[in-house]
Amino acid sequence: MKRLLNLAARVTRPAPVGTTPADVVLRENKWKLLRYRRPAGSPPPRETPVLLVPSLINRHYVMDLLPDRSMAADLVARGHDVYCIDWGTPEDEDRFVTFDDVCDRYLGRAIRHVASTSPRSKAHLLGYCLGGTLAVIHAAARPEHVASLLLLAAPVRFKNEGSLLEAWTQSPTFGVRPVVEAFGNVPWQLMQSAFHMLRPTLNLSKLVHLLDRAESGEFLDGFFALETWGNDNVSFPGACFERYIEELYRQDLLARGEFRLSGRPVKLGAITCPVMAVTFEHDNIVPAASASCALDMVSSTDKVHLHLPGGHVGAVVSRGAQRSLWPKLSEFFAARDADAAPQRVEARRVAKAPAEPAPREPAPREPAHVAPPGRGHTNGHANGHTNGHAKAEAPIVDKKRKARAVASPAARKKRATRSP
Amino acid sequence: MIWDTWKKGFDAWESATAKLMEEMLKSPAVLWPSGAMLTGAMKAKTAYDRAVSQWVGAAGVATKRDQERMLHAIHQLESKLLDLEEKLSQKNA
Repeated sequence: MKRLLNLAARVTRPAPVGTTPADVVLRENKWKLLRYRRPAGSPPPRETPVLLVPSLINRHYVMDLLPDRSMAADLVARGHDVYCIDWGTPEDEDRFVTFDDVCDRYLGRAIRHVASTSPRSKAHLLGYCLGGTLAVIHAAARPEHVASLLLLAAPVRFKNEGSLLEAWTQSPTFGVRPVVEAFGNVPWQLMQSAFHMLRPTLNLSKLVHLLDRAESGEFLDGFFALETWGNDNVSFPGACFERYIEELYRQDLLARGEFRLSGRPVKLGAITCPVMAVTFEHDNIVPAASASCALDMVSSTDKVHLHLPGGHVGAVVSRGAQRSLWPKLSEFFAARDADAAPQRVEARRVAKAPAEPAPREPAPREPAHVAPPGRGHTNGHANGHTNGHAKAEAPIVDKKRKARAVASPAARKKRATRSP
Repeated sequence: MIWDTWKKGFDAWESATAKLMEEMLKSPAVLWPSGAMLTGAMKAKTAYDRAVSQWVGAAGVATKRDQERMLHAIHQLESKLLDLEEKLSQKNA
């Protein structure tokens, strides 16, 4: 009875996702750059700001899931000045938006803006999933404003023998161009169906686990927040998708060192800044080997590999992540906050099994339905994305004009010391 | 007790079924015809859309693709303006 009451109470009210107050400091086409507000009276932030780069096909608020379970808010509380890209919702005309537009023009502008607020003219990049791939490509082609690079389950090598996603994308009868020509932007419904097919029994499994753990209000809050996020997907800009699948998935050009960004060669060996790669043991979307290989390709001497239990999403947003993963992210940035940071020797270390392991997810799947603190749950929130997104937008204040008016005398003087 | 036993059985069934389905969905015998069907359906949709837009275009009306191109061009102009703004603020600095 208590389980049913708990469920009923949560089904009728939308999950409060993405509620950490943030200001829009930059806007272009559909994407926005958010800056999370620091609580009044808090000490000045660390020298180098942090830019969160989420995946293109999911909403950014996975990094700011719930008021008491927000990676962004956690970083802010630990003294970082935190920015996040909200890629927005592509519309029909964005079918022509290319990979170069996203990874070079948009991401580049965000990085330059964030770096301009730091005396070092640099920013820490934290890329999650495809956002990490974008970040590593950009850092390799234009490393000048990147202080350090943190890759959270970010695929770099796309050839993974045995992976279901790889089998599908490599199928000779599957044509990427026909899909893009037919739809323009690749519909999120199509991508979500594909992710459902990665484990067709997942929804049933989640339903059973939801009933099993429905007595815990905390579990249900996390569950419905993730369901809201998981059902709030966005379509992939067509031209960008075509290049992503053809050149990264099918030809593996990034790992082979043959990828080009706006005509510039992308060699991961050009990355010399500190790099941390975080991989997850039960991540079937981005196998650990696909992400950790970045460390073997970069020229950095300061590199860290953190291998944790858990799945692609659960290990990033769960209570376990709050205790084991998030402090390590902050420590990594804090230790590399200033140019005069202590000399670091090569620090390639693999940390396994944290004190409080993140929960294992019941099954693989990126955009939807991954267990938060527990295991399975159900797809019981079909319309949650509308409400969730409206909630996410609520605390954001447009500061576009303010951002453009940075040419005050003080700001000009400050900028004079920066590299172009 | 009954629930726990049932759940253990369910977990075992779910795991085995998921593994079986993964093998099936990876198999070229399923994958190749599915890919061909999807590609065929996409080509048919494209051909239909093209025919409709040719008909609309012949009537002198801007097609959906024309409007998309126009809007995209406007966004590109906006981006170029932002590029110029950035360069200008650097020059003024």
